[in-house]
Amino acid sequence: MDARVQDTTVKGEIDITGVNKVFGQGAAAFHALTDIDLSIATGEFFTLLGPSGCGKTTLLRVIAGFEQPSSGSLRINGAEVAGLGPNRRPVNTVFQSYALFPHMTVAQNIGFGLKMLGKPRREIEATAAEMLRLVRMEALAERRPAELSGGQQQRVALARALAPRPRVLLLDEPLSALDLKLRKEMQSELKRLQTETGITFVFVTHDQEEALTMSDRVAVMSAGRILQMGRPTEIYNAPVNRFVADFIGETNFLVLPVAQTEGDAAHLTLPGGKRAQALLPDGMLPVTGADVTAVIRPEQATIVEPDAGDMTATVDSAVFFGTDTHLHLTLSDGQPFVLRRQNRPGQQPPEPGTALGLSLAPGALRVLED
Amino acid sequence: MRAPLFRGHGWKWLLCAPALTVLLLAASGPLLIVLVYSFLSPGNMGGVVWEFSTEGWFRVFFRRDIFEPDLVTWNQAHLAVFWRSIWLSLQTTLICAFLGFPTAWFIATRPPSTRTVWLFLITIPFWTNLLIRTFAIQEVIRNNGTINTVLMRLGVIDSPIQMMFTDFAVLLGMAYVFLPLMVLPLYAAMEKMDFRLVEAGYDLYASRLMVLWHVILPQVKPGFIAGSILVFIPAIGAYVTPRVLGGGRTMMLGNLIALQFGQGRNWPLGAALAMLMLVVVVGALVLYLRAVNRMEGARRG
Amino acid sequence: MAEKGYSVRRLPGFGLIAVLTFTMLYLPIVILVFFSFNAGPSQAVWDGFSLQWYEAAFQNRQVREVSIRSLWLAATAASFATVLATLAALGTTRGGRFPGQTMIYALINQPLMVPEIVTGIALLIFVAAIKVQTGYTGMGYLVAAHTAFCIPFAYLPIRARLETLDPALEAAAADLYASPVQAFFSITLPLLVPGIVAGFMLGFVISLDTVVITEFVKSAGQDTLPTYMLGQLRRTVTPEMNAIATLFLALSLIIVTAFFLITRTRGR
Repeated sequence: MDARVQDTTVKGEIDITGVNKVFGQGAAAFHALTDIDLSIATGEFFTLLGPSGCGKTTLLRVIAGFEQPSSGSLRINGAEVAGLGPNRRPVNTVFQSYALFPHMTVAQNIGFGLKMLGKPRREIEATAAEMLRLVRMEALAERRPAELSGGQQQRVALARALAPRPRVLLLDEPLSALDLKLRKEMQSELKRLQTETGITFVFVTHDQEEALTMSDRVAVMSAGRILQMGRPTEIYNAPVNRFVADFIGETNFLVLPVAQTEGDAAHLTLPGGKRAQALLPDGMLPVTGADVTAVIRPEQATIVEPDAGDMTATVDSAVFFGTDTHLHLTLSDGQPFVLRRQNRPGQQPPEPGTALGLSLAPGALRVLED
Repeated sequence: MRAPLFRGHGWKWLLCAPALTVLLLAASGPLLIVLVYSFLSPGNMGGVVWEFSTEGWFRVFFRRDIFEPDLVTWNQAHLAVFWRSIWLSLQTTLICAFLGFPTAWFIATRPPSTRTVWLFLITIPFWTNLLIRTFAIQEVIRNNGTINTVLMRLGVIDSPIQMMFTDFAVLLGMAYVFLPLMVLPLYAAMEKMDFRLVEAGYDLYASRLMVLWHVILPQVKPGFIAGSILVFIPAIGAYVTPRVLGGGRTMMLGNLIALQFGQGRNWPLGAALAMLMLVVVVGALVLYLRAVNRMEGARRG
Repeated sequence: MAEKGYSVRRLPGFGLIAVLTFTMLYLPIVILVFFSFNAGPSQAVWDGFSLQWYEAAFQNRQVREVSIRSLWLAATAASFATVLATLAALGTTRGGRFPGQTMIYALINQPLMVPEIVTGIALLIFVAAIKVQTGYTGMGYLVAAHTAFCIPFAYLPIRARLETLDPALEAAAADLYASPVQAFFSITLPLLVPGIVAGFMLGFVISLDTVVITEFVKSAGQDTLPTYMLGQLRRTVTPEMNAIATLFLALSLIIVTAFFLITRTRGR
């Protein structure tokens, strides 16, 4: 369960052990990365997720070779690369700004890496053509980047980074400059490219939805540390602490007293006096009667008749979201609670002031570490 | 991100070294020699004798009686030149500000398409030869120049008005050649200005004059200060314009300095005068930088 | 624009002063150009159209000589200044701040701050000393003085261009297996070309304009066009001077227009 415990015997595509990155010196020193341990398997779509300034881009730049780690080891395909420049690593980057060379055509951009590797011209041209086909840009080979739309530039950036057939492709928030519709399109496009090429993708984003929908595994970062690593469902359903719970999706935080503990679960006293079972994090043994923070997702409670459910609440407001409606409620002890209800035809949102009963899905309630 | 060659800062100095060498040899270094020369004794035919002396600096402000060297009086001729230099430079700055502000405003309020053209029209004189522009002014105000010829043909005057070799000529010439230096920073400040604030001013019942005073001027103040310093500094250092349009009686500091290296043949005095000019210019720059810092500080709170 | 209703951008009288200013700015130049085509010897009385003063200027051996010297000096000094300024711009804009940077900026911009007359006599003293020591009286002094004076002007557009370059471009080149040298020659330098051309042009124009420094540095027989004109202005001048000035103006105008167009096409 604890994300920080890693099996170091597994040799992955990328193995990072004990990597630290400190900018500046002395009192002005800034710890951008602290004790990063990470192993990414070959062919995996791995995502670094976190708010801006959490260190995810720095970690990507360390893997790419733009920054050198202050300490620790970084192996790509088993070979130590710490200290090597970016031009000596079998990884390529798709930059957030795309960084397409404005004075070169699309084809020249795509062929640049192979040219620098000293490949013969025929091979460069063949690969460039193949890459253009792969990203469906055959018709625009002779255009300049300035003549392309944002989405087209994005595809060229991808093709350029894929052309030298790197072992690992690094993507630094590549979709953040696109509008919503194009972003959705590119998400599936990226997924398709990854499956077709079989290259390991390391993807950096601050968009939790993007991370959950595309990734095989996600590492949630904050303040230079990895807080939790796992499959998207694990991260969503079993956040290890308040930060992860809050950052991924929407969550209700309830402060509740412990009624009784048994094994890895505890019984908490809900507002109104009823009890509910909640999962405990590894190794946590709360004292009976002490307050703990428990989380529950807004869609994991359902509306029932008053007094029929686990808790009662009154409606403060209802916000219509199209597919669902968010009900802002106040529990009987005054704590706020947000409930998400799927909309059905003809269903009217309850009036403010209405009293409701809430029924919690089994296993939905989890106690947090802090 | 870089190969070892590019680690550290040494390579940056290495790249700057050739330019810095040329600048030190042909621009900054010689200034130090001027400072040294200002404390030496003058040679007979120009040049210096390597003997320490403060006579050069002494003569900047004072003069000795030829027959009684102990009789010291203020050097009225020099003081008159200093005063004229400062007074003409201040007047030039004022004229440029008076003409430059409406001009910059005019450019800044044109639609973006024509604005570039107007701006270009201001930039052209800025980059064309100062000597030629001075020559053009000379053509206009000479005794047999455009103005006098036209006025005499029209019968307004019988004999030409003497404009050349007067303070007026120098002032006109300097205002003419330095005007773009006032307009450009003023325009830059106006371009950054938030016109919604002007609208807000009118919305809150301010008259045009009140808006100008309370809303527009405070916003373009940095441009005013930059423009004033950009005009004042070359005006204080002016040499060509007063030489062509002025005469012996309307000499400015620059001409007085040059004189010491020509007919005057008193290099230490000339060096001391040059240092004095440098002090005035650096002083003006320091005042400017302080004003900028204060405004930046005020903006950051 | 203010005919209808109340425009917040209008300030009474400003338009008039602006038009007056533009007139004042251009009228003397227009008069100067106009009388260069005068058939008579006056610069105030029109005697009909003629190109005789241009002919006279072209046939004046001294004018030809000083013009060629001016152009040669401007081209040489601007070339040196551009190379030096490019290196300095790379050194001061790549890879973050470093100790001594402020001092380098101050040194580079120093010729802009110090009045030309002060630099002029400083160089006069310095050059006189070197002449006595070495006996060398060639164009080297003028080239060095003009180069130093042109450096800050050439530096300006090159640095501006470098600062607008996305640093990710060089990172991308390195990521795509380019060595630092390859990255510089295949990415940075080609993208820097407009800035370098603009820097050269500014340097060229500045060198052509420089009169005070040249006046004090030049040895006998090293007159440039501006110092020649300065000397001639003392005498009664004929429209021949107008013709020379007009040609000079035209050259500046062409360069400045080209500069304007180059620096305006950004991001290509």
